[in-house]
Amino acid sequence: MKSALSNYARPILFLTLVVFIAVSVLSLTYQATKDTIEEQQDAKIKSTLQELFPALDTYEYQDSLYTIYSQDDTIGYAFLTSGKGYGGNIDIMVGIENETTLKGILIISQQETPGLGNRITEDWFTSSFAGLSLSDVFLKKDGGAIDGITGATISSRAVVDAVREAAMEKIKAIPERTQAKAGDLE
Amino acid sequence: MSRLRKEFLKGIIISNPVFVLALGLCPALAISISIDNALGMSMGVAIVLLGSNIMVATLRKIVPNAVRIPVFIVIIASFVTIIDLLFQAYFPPLHQSLGIYLPLIVVNCIVLGRAEAFASKNPIFDSIADALGIAIGFMLALLLVSFIRQMLGTGMLTVFGKELLRLPGLASHPMALFVLPPGAFLVIALLLALFRRMGVLKNE
Amino acid sequence: MNELISIFIGMALVNNFVLSRFLGLCPFFGVSKKLDNALSMGIAVTLVMFLASVVTWFIYHHILVPFNVEYMKIIIYIVVIASLVQIVEMAIKRTNVTLYNALGIYLPLITTNCAVLGITLINTQEDFSLIQSMVSALGGGIGFLFVLVIMSGIRERLELSDVPKSMKGLPIAFITAMLLSLTFFGFGGMV
Repeated sequence: MKSALSNYARPILFLTLVVFIAVSVLSLTYQATKDTIEEQQDAKIKSTLQELFPALDTYEYQDSLYTIYSQDDTIGYAFLTSGKGYGGNIDIMVGIENETTLKGILIISQQETPGLGNRITEDWFTSSFAGLSLSDVFLKKDGGAIDGITGATISSRAVVDAVREAAMEKIKAIPERTQAKAGDLE
Repeated sequence: MSRLRKEFLKGIIISNPVFVLALGLCPALAISISIDNALGMSMGVAIVLLGSNIMVATLRKIVPNAVRIPVFIVIIASFVTIIDLLFQAYFPPLHQSLGIYLPLIVVNCIVLGRAEAFASKNPIFDSIADALGIAIGFMLALLLVSFIRQMLGTGMLTVFGKELLRLPGLASHPMALFVLPPGAFLVIALLLALFRRMGVLKNE
Repeated sequence: MNELISIFIGMALVNNFVLSRFLGLCPFFGVSKKLDNALSMGIAVTLVMFLASVVTWFIYHHILVPFNVEYMKIIIYIVVIASLVQIVEMAIKRTNVTLYNALGIYLPLITTNCAVLGITLINTQEDFSLIQSMVSALGGGIGFLFVLVIMSGIRERLELSDVPKSMKGLPIAFITAMLLSLTFFGFGGMV
């Protein structure tokens, strides 16, 4: 009887003990690395935003919209969006100066075909968005101001459409935000 | 000492995990598009392999047989989580480019295979030698595949942002196929065939 | 609805588990020698992928996130998958002996199939909702089943053809996979 009990009990106790030790070690590792991981993520976001807004001093994040400050002035807004490319999602950070004008875009991640679609990360393509009016954010062949990439229309159009559609959506939130801020001051 | 050396050396060529045993193919194919990835991945696998081999060899006499495999899996998964957190904290770009293939080390047949086939039956020092040998064998295989794919696929050899080599002609018109999934299958197929031709591998 | 279709096609064809993500390669080369085995293995994997996606979705969103222990996901997911495989195996054994005889031997292998852990991690990474996770698991599983069946058809023929000595077996299977993977490139841009 005793041996039957220990036959069942010992393995279960042993496994429980191993799991307990494993969980403790993991939570210790997590506590030790948590701050560094957060710092790294903040630094990455800040350097991305800084690339779009060189004058950036601080930024604020609320409702998936980054508000960019230079000293105390608001110099623009930024947000993340994603488009459906040839090989999957294309994540883009978009900067806007005000309700009508783009500041610029950066491709954060993409899985497009090397040599064709992945040329959306090249400077000449992303920099062609800088300073554009939102109504011009179309490919030239669709009546806009952006040169598509030869042989990679799907990828180029995915970026252009994602940027324009998301920007149109986001600018609706901006005036309210500015008003809310003014309201706070009173 | 010579026994430890034998356990160490066998993993590098005679039973190279990738080319001879055909284990751990998922990461070998998926992330082998750059030398950086290959180094990062093999570092991850080496740490997990070493850690789990040591733990399993230490516990081998007291682990109840009925829960042997679950205990091994918990040990391996813990080491994988630890390196996942460490990579996230100290090598964020590498963590990003390895993506889900870093956590997938848990189900890498090499790691569980060594725990079950070797470390659970052998003393600690033999298990350490075995882990090091297998890890180096895995690293060499990954580096070889990545080197070929990066050279042909981009025409350049860059390691951690530093350009080491640039092939004239190929750099401006790279054979992008090699950094795409089909290129991975092709390179592994040709390397496997080559290793067989050289007689390192037995034919089936 | 459109979004669900695009997730399904993306998982099954564009980013096929075997041919573009390299997940589940061991069973892909191991059991793709015969058509019957390939079909059984594919169905078993799809079933476990689907169940694992549902269970891990609840665990992630209702346990890990509220308690702020998302970093435990690797260890929890692998335990969930291992237990699920055991439960499915027992359930099939008790209810349907024919099915058990067909799938039985493949079930234990599924625990260490990277496609299963892969789909749960992808669902978490993409922040899919429950429905989206279910669709993506089905897409991934069916895509896996699809190429496994194609591959086994080709390999049955390959057995009869005259392959160079050092290319026999695994190398020629990899060359076949390369051609299939190249073919699947044609699905790009469908999502």
